[in-house]
Amino acid sequence: MAHKKKHRTLDTEQVNMGFQIAPMIDVVFVIMLFFMVMAGAVKVERELKTQLPGLGTPALADENTPPDEILVTVEETGIVTLNEEEFDTPTDKALPNFTATLLRLKQEADHRNAKVMVTIQAEEQARYERVIDVLNSMAKAKIANVTFTVGGDDF
Amino acid sequence: MAGGGGGGDGEPEFQIAPMIDVLLVLLIFFMSITSAQVLRIDQDIRLPVAADAKKKDDKNAMFEASINVSWIAARQEAKIKLDTQELPNEEIVKVLTERKNNNPTYRVIIRADRDVLAVEIQKVMALIAQAGIDDISFSTLNQDS
Repeated sequence: MAHKKKHRTLDTEQVNMGFQIAPMIDVVFVIMLFFMVMAGAVKVERELKTQLPGLGTPALADENTPPDEILVTVEETGIVTLNEEEFDTPTDKALPNFTATLLRLKQEADHRNAKVMVTIQAEEQARYERVIDVLNSMAKAKIANVTFTVGGDDF
Repeated sequence: MAGGGGGGDGEPEFQIAPMIDVLLVLLIFFMSITSAQVLRIDQDIRLPVAADAKKKDDKNAMFEASINVSWIAARQEAKIKLDTQELPNEEIVKVLTERKNNNPTYRVIIRADRDVLAVEIQKVMALIAQAGIDDISFSTLNQDS
């Protein structure tokens, strides 16, 4: 009996559990699938830069050419106007006509070496998303000098 | 004569080592494009979409604060947080002024929900202006979910 027992223990010791490649590949596959799915829905945070007037844009006042001032209003209903002229539909996020007009105004100003200064006047109840649509159009037209007014106060 | 056309004694075996190499490279690729910053986006805030916004510059991340403005639809009110802390408005101005004094190039990023009213953004910009900071960015997303 004693001899048999000794033999059995020797058997278990001899089983060599080497590095198992199959489970490792399984795990790597699962991790890779996770990242592949995540990559499909990548939402990268971007930024629309602006500078508050006062400290940031003193150069405008020094120049001989006065800046072209454009007044953009954003209404509660989503209507966007440029110098009191209405552009695009309130639900149109891309604002194609508005952007095209801004681009044209910017090009004209560049020819005259003048700067374009846009004042965005948003109604108090207007949605922030609509203001961002307008700022996106500004970014497309490469206009950086933006002032905000809401409810009569300048910022 | 055993070398030609795949004939011969040795049947070519499935090579596991190069396969693991390829898998790891793919894994690193997908890990890198799913950056930590993407996962850090606050789930409570649905940022507006602006396809033409510039890519965020991560170099100056140390010298910027983010003001998170979330929208509570049930109560129709906005909640303002400085980074992750909910502070009273005076405290936000105080903290920002201090940071601006320490670093003149300090900037603020406004991360506001798309449903927030423009008047709330005005209030936030008023706080930033009070702190003497003129460099402001609006945070947006490149695409809608």
